[in-house]
Amino acid sequence: MDALIAQLQRQFRDYTISLYQQGFLDDQFTELKKLQDDGSPDFVAEVLTLFFEDCVKLISNMARALDKTTGTVDFSQVGASVHQLKGSSSSVGAKRVKALCVSFKEYCEAKNYEGCVRCLQQVDIEYKALKTKLQDMFNLEKQIIQAGGRVPQVDIN
Amino acid sequence: MRGDSFSMSIENIPDSPMVSRKKKMKIRKVFDKMTQWVTPWRSNLESPREMMILRGDVEQDEFQYASSHCLSSYYSVFVVRLAIMVMLAILIGLLTVLTWHFTRIYTKQSLKTLAYGLRYELLQRPVLRMWSVVNTTSELTTAQVKLSEYVIKKSDKPTTQEELVEMYQAMKDVTWALFASAKALNAITINYRNGFVQAFHRDPASSSTFYIFSDLKNYSINGIGPEDVSGWNNQSIHGNMSAIWYQQQLDPVTGDKLGKPLKIPPDDLINIAGISQVPDGEASWHVTVSKYMDSPLLSAALPVFDASNKSIVAVVGVTTALYSVGQLMRDLVDVHGGHIYLTSQEGYLLATSTNGPLLKNTTNGPKLMKAIDSEEWVIRAGAQWLEKTYGSKRPQEVHAENVKLGDQRYYIDSFYLNLKRLPIRGVVIIPRKFIMGKVDERAFKTLIILISASVCIFFIGCVCILILTNGVSKEMKLRAELIRQLDARRRAEASSNYKSQFLANMSHELRTPMAAVIGLLDILISDDCLSNEQYATVTQIRKCSTALLRLLNNILDLSKVESGKLVLEEAEFDLGRELEGLVDMFSVQCINQNVETVLDLSDDMPALVRGDSARLVQIFANLISNSIKFTTTGHIILRGWCENINSLHDEMSLTVDRKKPWAPMKTKLVQHRNHLQKCCKNANKMVLWFEVDDTGCGIDPSKWDSVFESFEQADPSTTRTHGGTGLGLCIVRNLVNKMGGEIKVVQKNGLGTLMRLYLILSTPETADQNIQPDFSKYGLVVLLSMYGSTARMITSKWLRTHGIATVEASDWNELTQIIRDLLEMGSRDNSFDSQNNIADSLRAELSNIKEIKNPVFVIVVDIGVLDLTTDIWKEQLNYLDRFSNKAKFAWLLKHDTSNIVKTELRRKGHVMMVNKPLYKAKMIQILEAVIKNRKRCSGLRNRGNWNSDDSSETSGEKHIDKSVQPSTLHSPVLKNYLIDATNSNDDSTSASMTQKNPEEEDWKDRLYSGIALDGKNLKSLEGIRILLAEDTPVLQRVATIMLEKMGATVTAVWDGQQAVDSLNYKSINAQDPTEEHKSSEEETANNSINPQSSLRNSSPYDLILMDCQMPKMDGYEATKAIRRAEIGTEQHIPIVALTAHAMSSDEAKCLEVGMDAYLTKPIDRNLMVSTILSLTKPSSA
Repeated sequence: MDALIAQLQRQFRDYTISLYQQGFLDDQFTELKKLQDDGSPDFVAEVLTLFFEDCVKLISNMARALDKTTGTVDFSQVGASVHQLKGSSSSVGAKRVKALCVSFKEYCEAKNYEGCVRCLQQVDIEYKALKTKLQDMFNLEKQIIQAGGRVPQVDIN
Repeated sequence: MRGDSFSMSIENIPDSPMVSRKKKMKIRKVFDKMTQWVTPWRSNLESPREMMILRGDVEQDEFQYASSHCLSSYYSVFVVRLAIMVMLAILIGLLTVLTWHFTRIYTKQSLKTLAYGLRYELLQRPVLRMWSVVNTTSELTTAQVKLSEYVIKKSDKPTTQEELVEMYQAMKDVTWALFASAKALNAITINYRNGFVQAFHRDPASSSTFYIFSDLKNYSINGIGPEDVSGWNNQSIHGNMSAIWYQQQLDPVTGDKLGKPLKIPPDDLINIAGISQVPDGEASWHVTVSKYMDSPLLSAALPVFDASNKSIVAVVGVTTALYSVGQLMRDLVDVHGGHIYLTSQEGYLLATSTNGPLLKNTTNGPKLMKAIDSEEWVIRAGAQWLEKTYGSKRPQEVHAENVKLGDQRYYIDSFYLNLKRLPIRGVVIIPRKFIMGKVDERAFKTLIILISASVCIFFIGCVCILILTNGVSKEMKLRAELIRQLDARRRAEASSNYKSQFLANMSHELRTPMAAVIGLLDILISDDCLSNEQYATVTQIRKCSTALLRLLNNILDLSKVESGKLVLEEAEFDLGRELEGLVDMFSVQCINQNVETVLDLSDDMPALVRGDSARLVQIFANLISNSIKFTTTGHIILRGWCENINSLHDEMSLTVDRKKPWAPMKTKLVQHRNHLQKCCKNANKMVLWFEVDDTGCGIDPSKWDSVFESFEQADPSTTRTHGGTGLGLCIVRNLVNKMGGEIKVVQKNGLGTLMRLYLILSTPETADQNIQPDFSKYGLVVLLSMYGSTARMITSKWLRTHGIATVEASDWNELTQIIRDLLEMGSRDNSFDSQNNIADSLRAELSNIKEIKNPVFVIVVDIGVLDLTTDIWKEQLNYLDRFSNKAKFAWLLKHDTSNIVKTELRRKGHVMMVNKPLYKAKMIQILEAVIKNRKRCSGLRNRGNWNSDDSSETSGEKHIDKSVQPSTLHSPVLKNYLIDATNSNDDSTSASMTQKNPEEEDWKDRLYSGIALDGKNLKSLEGIRILLAEDTPVLQRVATIMLEKMGATVTAVWDGQQAVDSLNYKSINAQDPTEEHKSSEEETANNSINPQSSLRNSSPYDLILMDCQMPKMDGYEATKAIRRAEIGTEQHIPIVALTAHAMSSDEAKCLEVGMDAYLTKPIDRNLMVSTILSLTKPSSA
């Protein structure tokens, strides 16, 4: 049993580190994890759920705004959405999404339609990838807890 | 001034009167220079001058390196010099040539005229002589003819021989008379028609006179008719061999016959004029030669006509030698030199001025010689030249100069004398040097003199120009140098300016990575799996990084101050506590060095002041660390006192003793204060004076001002021995100035440095905090047994001013004596045994103390008084223990006092232990503890034990000792200086040892409590109510959790409109807590702030965190609305902007709409905490 827990814990640790190393996450996520304690046990999951909901909403908003068939492209609305997405992604430490948002915003300000569309697609792919990764991570966490172990603190530095 | 000399030396304007004086000086200088140049080789005696030259050389050397920089100016000077020299040369050359030319021309002209006259004269004379000779001859001939005609007429056709002879005799007499009268005549001949010849002849060689006649026998009287004239010729005479010629010598004077006539051969005959010479009956002239004469003869012939004038009866010939002409010429030439000759028209020489022969000897007798054949070389050459130049067409007169004959030059003049039948040409040849020789010589000399003089002048002029322009070029070099250096200075200043600006701008960029490095090192240090070596290494790195950061901070601070970007905080802080902490910190450092660190703050110092505590601490930290650096033994005292700015006169009189050397600063301060009073009358400003006094090596008085400059150290070797950058004092001065004060090094008695400074700080409006406990009524007696004299003195002085009897002891022996005196006396029943070795003053004091009723003895013992090196200290401790029921012991420990000592002390029941150094606050705490204990003791007198439940555990400290009862004593000093104080009993000396151990740890932590507190205090925002306006759910959640973790009460709203609404609503319904979006309220037990009850003002929130970009109403609008609502009220709720933008323009915009601070997303927790605290502190404190 202990061996399993240890293995799971190692797996979890490696996985988390890989997420950091691949640039999916940054320090802000660590900060977020620090805020989670007994008072708010599911805080990270809660925040991330909020974030992904936000993402879905914002991306659909942007997709609508960038849809040429409905008429003119409303870059200001796209910009506002990107700004929001940038704020929330930086707050949860979704590093890649945040980086994409930065270039997205530049395209938006330059009113570069192709760039915006490309960025939108990338953001969509990226946030979904992150979601999958984080779900995997949470699954690992759950497994550890089910196995009776403690979720290890992963120190990135 | 400079320009004047400049132009003068270049152009040498002589007319300007202003310049003339200077010119004199200049000339003088030039003269000096020249003498310098001239004299060196003979100036062995004149050493000063040589030195001057040497100095000049040095100057030259100095300029050498600069010369490359002003090459162009050098060239221009060079060109100017050259031009001036060329001009000078041309001028002088022109002058010379003109002078020479004119003198020469004029001299020549006049000489030539003279010479011409001379030559003319020379020639004229011989010609005249010639003329006279010819005339004489002519006259004589004519006379002879006339006489002959007369004689012949008289005889008139002699018919007989006798008559004929008679006639001939008459002719002979007449002729003789004539011949004798004219001595110059050479011969007179009469040739008759019949062939008879009568002649008289003088021979100059033998100076004898002869009569020559032909034989008369052969001549008939009338044998010859006129028709036979054709046969009457010379041929007949000379060829007439039949005729016999006789020669009879005569007496030259009387004409008497001497001897007999001799027959002579025809060859010896003289030239006898015949009929052939007068073919037309006219007189004829010709030049002949004679055998007896070496010069040509001039012979004239005239016919003698008969009475009817129809036929020639005889021919008379007269011969004159030209010898006399030659004589004259010779005389003339003797005087004047040169040569003269006369020629006939055909070119035959008639006379010359030389002795050379004029005739040419041929086989046919002597013949005339042509001039070009003359044996005299000059005459020949001259004749040849004339021939060559003019040929046959020779003009009447020739004047030739500079004719080169041989290797000499001659004047040749030729005149034509047109005599009838005998034209004569005269030639004068005079060597040129006879006339012009001297002149030429003189002209040559003059030329040489002129040229050499002008060359000299030229060189002198060049030298003068060089000297004059030398000054100019030097000046130009200097100017170029000056310009270059000014330029360099400007550039250096600019770059320095850029540097400070750059540094100021870079501050954040430099500090952040350093902070990161240190943070990472901290994490690494806290890792458990480090080996010891690694740990040591990392610790070392940590130390180095800290040092580097400190240095960086210093530099950045300085640049910040210099570029004017430093803004001082305005926050309330406990001045005394900050300084105490500082002294505590430094004393650790000092104890190792045997240096006392003493804090001496006067009682009137305000406890709380407003200002920038960090900067204030930095000032003193710099000063003290500086002092420590240079102090090896002795003490460092930080003194502080205060004067109220509003009570100038009081403070003047109060502090007059301390501020004697302070006068200039004082007046400045007074002015400053007056100014301050004007501008902020209401502000409760205080002037705080501080001194940092050490006993180090001191600073040289000449450096007192300069030590405050950046990178300035009093002694350059400091860096080597003590390190440091020299920035510390500069920062200090800048900071002090920034706080409205001044710092200065002042005179001090004895060794060391005394830095004095004042700061102007405002104190909070709250009531006077200086509640000094009154100890005098308790009858306290303090025995200070301390090693360091300074601290002891200061403490005892302070105690005495507060009415506490104090006795001092510096070592163990003294301590034991006094203890015995004071404490054992009671048991000995007042029989005071006077000790010999106690000083009188001390004895008097002791006796005074004995007067005190019911005294409470407090004995403060420095652990250093005990002998810790051996085990004697235990016995000493045991000895002291005997008095523990009569007196309270307080121990002064060092930070390195070993645990054995401490445990032993505790075992003996000594609970009052403080770390060194001892200062006012610690003393007060000790005294208060004693007093409290005494009260308790008096309450529980019978039990005889005392509780020292002092105020050790205040909220700021991390004492978790549950056994300690909560503090009940509210002393002004809120901190605990006692190291540990446990509830112990007198008789239960077996105090809980196990309990001590965590306390030891605590005690250890205390030294670093400042560091520990910052990192671990998570509840720093406790009790602060925050309104969070954020539309992004993620951010809202994160921020809420983050703030709540730190103890804040958070109300979250979704947009600006809600924020404004909730603010308005809350302010109306402030008492209603139900509207708050409450998350779990984590109120700690210690925190007494209750949102419902603690409405100190009407605002429901302490702070608003406002996102800038929100739907409905964004952060800017919301802020504006809130600020509008605040108008007219006293409120100002701090608003902090939250934004994802990270541009300074956003910050500006935020501040413009009325926000107070600015945070960027993602939120940095520490930054947020510090921002919130700085904004809420004044109201929450």
